[in-house]
Amino acid sequence: MDEAKVPVFEGGIDYTGAKLGMWLFILSELLLFGGMFILYAAHRYKTPADFHNASAELDVILGTLNTILLLTSSLSVAVSITAIQKGDRRLSMVLLMVTMALGLVFLVNKGIEWTTKIGHGIYPNSPTLLARPKGEILFFGLYYVMTGLHGLHVLVGVCVLCVMLILIAKDKISPMHFTSLENSGLYWHLVDIIWIFLYPLFYLIT
Amino acid sequence: MESGEEHPSKYSTYVFVWMGLVCLTALTYTVAVRIHPGGWAILVALAIAGTKSGLVLNYFMHLKSEKPLIFKVIIPLVMAVFLVFVLLTFSDVAFRGVVE
Amino acid sequence: MTSATATDSVLSKINFYEDRRGILSWIFTLDHKRIGLLYFIFVIAFFFGGVVLGFFMRLEMVAPGGAIMGPQTYNSLFTLHGIIMIFLVVIPAIPTIFGNFFLPIQIGARDVAFPRINLLSWWLYISGATIVFFSVFTGGGPPDTGWTFYAPYSLRTTVNVPLAVFGVFVLGMSSILTGINLVTTTHRLRAPGMTWRRLPLFVWGIYSTSWVQILATPVIGITMVLIFLDRFFGVGVFDPTKGGDPILYQHMFWIYSHPATYIMILPAMGIVSDVVPVFARKKIFGYTAIALSGMAIAAVGSLVWGHHMFVSGQSDFANILFSLLTFLVAIPSAIKVFNWVATLHKGSIVIEPPLLFCLSFIFLFSIGGLTGLIQGALAPNVHLHDTYWIPAHFHYIIFGGMGFGLFAAFHYWFPKMFGRMYNRQRAMRAWVIMLIGFNIFYFSMLLLGWDGMPRRYYDYLPQFRTLHLTATFGSWILIAGLILMFSNLFHGLFKGKKAEDNPWNGVTLEWQIPSPPPTENFEKIPVIQHGPHDFKELENNG
Repeated sequence: MDEAKVPVFEGGIDYTGAKLGMWLFILSELLLFGGMFILYAAHRYKTPADFHNASAELDVILGTLNTILLLTSSLSVAVSITAIQKGDRRLSMVLLMVTMALGLVFLVNKGIEWTTKIGHGIYPNSPTLLARPKGEILFFGLYYVMTGLHGLHVLVGVCVLCVMLILIAKDKISPMHFTSLENSGLYWHLVDIIWIFLYPLFYLIT
Repeated sequence: MESGEEHPSKYSTYVFVWMGLVCLTALTYTVAVRIHPGGWAILVALAIAGTKSGLVLNYFMHLKSEKPLIFKVIIPLVMAVFLVFVLLTFSDVAFRGVVE
Repeated sequence: MTSATATDSVLSKINFYEDRRGILSWIFTLDHKRIGLLYFIFVIAFFFGGVVLGFFMRLEMVAPGGAIMGPQTYNSLFTLHGIIMIFLVVIPAIPTIFGNFFLPIQIGARDVAFPRINLLSWWLYISGATIVFFSVFTGGGPPDTGWTFYAPYSLRTTVNVPLAVFGVFVLGMSSILTGINLVTTTHRLRAPGMTWRRLPLFVWGIYSTSWVQILATPVIGITMVLIFLDRFFGVGVFDPTKGGDPILYQHMFWIYSHPATYIMILPAMGIVSDVVPVFARKKIFGYTAIALSGMAIAAVGSLVWGHHMFVSGQSDFANILFSLLTFLVAIPSAIKVFNWVATLHKGSIVIEPPLLFCLSFIFLFSIGGLTGLIQGALAPNVHLHDTYWIPAHFHYIIFGGMGFGLFAAFHYWFPKMFGRMYNRQRAMRAWVIMLIGFNIFYFSMLLLGWDGMPRRYYDYLPQFRTLHLTATFGSWILIAGLILMFSNLFHGLFKGKKAEDNPWNGVTLEWQIPSPPPTENFEKIPVIQHGPHDFKELENNG
């Protein structure tokens, strides 16, 4: 392995270290969701037909739209970081706001999906749902938990980006010091990646 | 040491990656809704999702341009760990009722 | 780019206790040494709590029939004993106390990579503990499911499971953050010349542990969340009446909880690997093998969880696979045992309390490991599962192994942390008493299990009474030894002789700085030119 480098960050900040820490946190998040993906896989394996039928009740258009929204928000946050690196503070802030807006629209869409389903009597422990085949009960149970936890992460991400926006405004983030923004971007991309998998697994079961 | 990598990516790189992601989304939608690949469906879906994630990881999250070895290791590591968890769980779930 | 390696701040001259005073300067500290000590206080306090619970469990079991409590209370006792010991004591202890205190010093750093996250980890630990304690007194009373919270019982029982599992979730977050901190610290803050091959083996032990903490803990995190959500919203993932699968719960639970046992043992093995060479005055036998076997244990140990589920209804195929993998994971552990013994062979042995605890570690851990192989074989497991054999096995490993390793660390690093020395004779006496009590207690349990005594049972058939009596008797001797050991340490803390900077003549970096260390650890960040075992005698002998 490599020779230890002289600790140049004595008194300064170790940006690579900060990034490494964020990546390790991302790994833990991947396994947090991974646990649920294991459960999804096991249950889908057991009752594939039920999963197929239940999936058909989800709104594919809304799901696809949400996917595009998040992918675009990843673009906007990535460009936002590059913008600050290039010293374009204004562009960076505008794109951060775009990212947050896209995230909020995502959450609104999710809210619409959920309230529609709940309105039809489909929610955990509802009499309607419990009368359905077991696989469908599980599908919707997993749907609510996984998209719910994901949505919570989106919300947290929006809040974090808001804080970053304020820091840029206050000049605490600059072309020389933008690791916190970069790390926030990493978190946002994580949220996007999780949805990249949630989308086909819940909406596109053929 | 400066924050981040030495050269910020070009804006156009990001836009091209985004276009690729949108195309892959369209592809996965089309395959599922129009083509109905049956048993292969989940593999195709996961392959496309994996490709999309790879693009996000490497370009949006800059994994491709990170220098220290540890950054190259962590994603394959977590994938391997997850895969092992799934496979071993399935060694139970998929073989219940099969008498050895 | 300049590297300011000299610091003439007064912070490197006064010790870290004198730096700032008052309770706020402790509970909001960013100093890794203070955080280590904050954990120290609470881990020991919770350990005492767990011991008290265990004492009452053994008191109840001294004779058949009810003695001092009813069955519901007994169920809650063993549940709380498990939750406290596992989540509040054994999993955190060595990484948070000694990992925090000594890893930065051993690699030549001034602190961990993320001091504020370190403080957050401690606050999460305290919060998690508080939540668990509240579960005892609210919402139907303390959980009675066993620390394993198996579904569907955990979904149905009317006691306060939700609060307890939420507490475990918060504790898990603390653990993950500690792991992230220590991995990043090891990668980024090593002093010049401190290559991976020159790291003390304690650092390697903590490093492997931290990876397991990062990668495995999230799985129990989500599992606890799912129990919580199932109880409040009826999600149904583990509930058979809704198509859920209780065996899947066991998979998710053990995917973490088996690697958790390696979170428990790897740091203790790291301590043994550091201590044995110092008291054998000899390089460790097979440094690379010890370092890499730790990583191998972490890796292979994450593949064996199904051995907790052989009789659960898991498929035959999975049973065979997990049994095979379980046998494989014994290999890297055996490599360590062999290498420690080989280190002692032809060494110049110095008998001191740290070494005694390490020697007993090797002995007790080996018994635990061998019993693990017996129960890891499928046919015996059918008879041994859910008998006293199982808790006997894991107490040999966790208490005999990790516990004695922890006590070794107490006695090894005590002079460095506190600048004082404990009474050597009393420490050795306590060790003997503990060793005797431990074996009377837990060996009796092995025999009880072999004879078929079920675990987690409040009552038992008369044929088991002699061994139960013996076990309880052994537990009293063990507790007496613990009391003697801790009172000796407390006494040393306040009345002990002032300790030298390097009472054991160790070579690792913590012994090259004052006892207690200054706040910034080093006046100047050292440049490392040799490995952790270059004892002076070796140089003198050419």
